Formats: sequence, structure tokens, C-alpha cells
Amino acid sequence: MLKRASIILLIAGLGLTSCSKDPISDLSTEETLVYVTNHDKSADYKQYKTFSIVDSVLVVENERSGTALTDIDRALLQRIMTNMQNLGYKYVNPKNKPDVGINAAWITNTYLNVVSQPSSYYGGYWGGGYGYGYPSYYNYYETSESYWLVSMVDFKNPNTADKTFNVIWDAQIRGAGIGESQFIDKMVDSVFGQSDYLKIN
Amino acid sequence: MKKLIIIALFLSGGLTAYAQEKPKLYTLPSPFERYTHYLATARFMGAVPLGSFADNYIDKASFQNFSISIEWILRNSPISVGGELGSTYFEKRIPRAIYENGDETLSAVQTRTLSQYPVELFGNYSFLPKNATIQPYVQLSGGVSIVDYTLYYGSLSTQHQKVAPKYGIGVGSRFLFKKDGSFGLDVRVKYDGTSYKHEYIEKGVSSVNGSVGVFYRWW
Repeated sequence: MLKRASIILLIAGLGLTSCSKDPISDLSTEETLVYVTNHDKSADYKQYKTFSIVDSVLVVENERSGTALTDIDRALLQRIMTNMQNLGYKYVNPKNKPDVGINAAWITNTYLNVVSQPSSYYGGYWGGGYGYGYPSYYNYYETSESYWLVSMVDFKNPNTADKTFNVIWDAQIRGAGIGESQFIDKMVDSVFGQSDYLKIN
Repeated sequence: MKKLIIIALFLSGGLTAYAQEKPKLYTLPSPFERYTHYLATARFMGAVPLGSFADNYIDKASFQNFSISIEWILRNSPISVGGELGSTYFEKRIPRAIYENGDETLSAVQTRTLSQYPVELFGNYSFLPKNATIQPYVQLSGGVSIVDYTLYYGSLSTQHQKVAPKYGIGVGSRFLFKKDGSFGLDVRVKYDGTSYKHEYIEKGVSSVNGSVGVFYRWW
């Protein structure tokens, strides 16, 4: 009788733990978007007057990189310019020594995941106190994640000691809809909208 | 014709014999009163978050909670002891908002979730005999809860899992569907507390849940 009871409990336990939930399945594409911005709190944005922007989007995939200018890239760059001008910055040609430069990148990180197959089960049927010398069996699967990275670089105050330019602001855009053109304006407006310290006019 | 009469006589004889035997069953107390027996209950629960858990993380009531329990009803004692396995789930969606974290500003729709799989031992004290049609009881329980805290920012998630101590205190009643029967209804109100701290949850998880269940008993 005790056995029967424990079997009932076991079945119930399996049933309860096996139901997995997906609480974000009802999110709209727009709602999945996450905007993350960082800025240099010591930077005084009032000192910058002019800006320029890259002419194409940097595409970084793991260690490899190249540039691209698709319709969606062009829309993104265009919208960044509009936002910068609305904040009071003046657009200048990259050759005319802008105070700040804007970079835009599409970054994809691909991860290779490994799972090892369990190999430590042996029933002891063959006796002799030996386990089994399994070779290691592994299964591989790949996941990848992409996001937009927009950054603002300070050309006015270069770090002369180690010849670098400081990044004074950056924005990451992540989520399910980042590759869809109808969300581009919304995404760019949002990252600038939550960074009101950039405003100089 | 003769045959038919004989069959009819046999039948009526059998019936009267059965009718005469039946009262004898009740000359002994019910087996449920004579033996230690088993009782299994399956419950569906509605739960309301309480205290700082409700204030800081999720205040939305949840109806995705279930449990199953089995207990040993001890002979000659108002006490029964057993174990209960459960599954509870709280969720709350927060519209897009801005979160500051150090130098970082993050704008996202938050989906807060907390799942628990409690594994508990409990003791019940029943106020009325085991064969009463209505059997009110009080309950004390303690055990562990497998806690899964998953917080989504948009489609990104952060997860934290832990096995945390938990306890509970409840009052309830069982209602037998028929006298001396095996099946019945169980109604219970229970306070649950889990000692768990992570990010938004600073002072543990507490909730009160009301459940409706069915039970089956056997010996």
C-alpha cells in the first residue's frame, strides 16, 4: 500500500514539474525591445557643438567584421542624424573635425554550446566491480544573439597618452524586432529620448 | 412455470437474506475508524501575495497553483501526518518603464515571475471523528521549496534558482460525499511563507491561498 502511495506521489511530481511556462509569449514585438544606454557622467555635453556619423554600419560577427549599408542601416543612420540635430548638434562632414563622432554597429555573437551525454550509468550486470569506459559523446548546438550598438566618441578631447578616443555615450538595442524596418524610428527615438542629458540647445 | 416460480423464490430468498445481512455491517465501526488508513488529496488553489513580496515584486493574485498530498490517518488519534507536493506560479507585467542601474539606463517592459515547487511534510489535527461527514482540521507544515525567480526585460531574462526553506499554517475542512464513503471535498485556507531573498524580494515570499480539492481515502 505504501508503494502504491509513493507511485501516486511520483507521478504527480513529474506532472507538476514538467509543465513549463512561457510568460513572454504574449509580448508584442515592440514590447520585446530593450533599450540600454550608458554615459560618461563626468562628460560635459555642452562643450560639443558639431557631430558626424559613419557612412555605413559596422557589422561584427564574433571576431570578424565588415561594413554594410542596407535600407534598414540607412534608415537607422538617418534617424540618428535627425535626433542629434534635434538635440542641438550641427552636422559636419567627417573631414571637418567634428567634436563627436557616431558609430553604429550590428553585432552578432554566436555561441557554441556543448552538452555531454550521460555515460555514468551502468547496471552492474556484468559484475566484477568495473564501470564502463565510455568514450565521451558530446552534442553541439549553436545559439546566436544580435543587437544594435550606437556609440558616441569624443574627438574633441583625445586621450593623447595612449592615443584613444573616449566613448562618452552608447546605446544597445536588443529584442525580437531589431531587424524590422518599421521599428527603426521608434528604437532610435527611444534611446535618445531616455538620454536627455545629451541635449545642448 | 414451475421453474420460474423456483427462480423467483430463489431470488426473493437471496434478496431477503441480503437485506437481513446489511445491518450487520454496521455492528462494527467503519474500517476508517478501526484502521490507520490513507488519504490522498488533489487541490487547485488561488493565491494572493502578501507583505513586502506583494509591495516590491508581484501583487497580482494567481490561479495557476496546484498540489497533491498523501497522508496517514492514525488510528485512535485525531492526528494525521503526510506529505504534499505543489506548484505555484506568480506573474506580473509592468508596462515599459525606465530602470537605472549604476551608470546604465534601461528601458523595457518587465515581466516578473516566481515559480515554486514546494515539498512539505505536514501534520493535521482533526476536531471530529474520522467518519463524520464534516471534518474540520488545522494544519502545520514545513519543508523546502524549489524557487525559480525569472525576471524578463523585454525578451531578455535573468534567472535565479534556489532551494529555500518554507512553512505553512492552515485551517480547512473535509466533506464526505456520502456517509462512510471514500470520496469527498476538501476546502482549505493556508498561509505560506518561504525564506528567499533575491533582488526585488527582500523579506521572503509570503502568500495566502485558498484551495478546493477532492480526496480519496482507502485502507
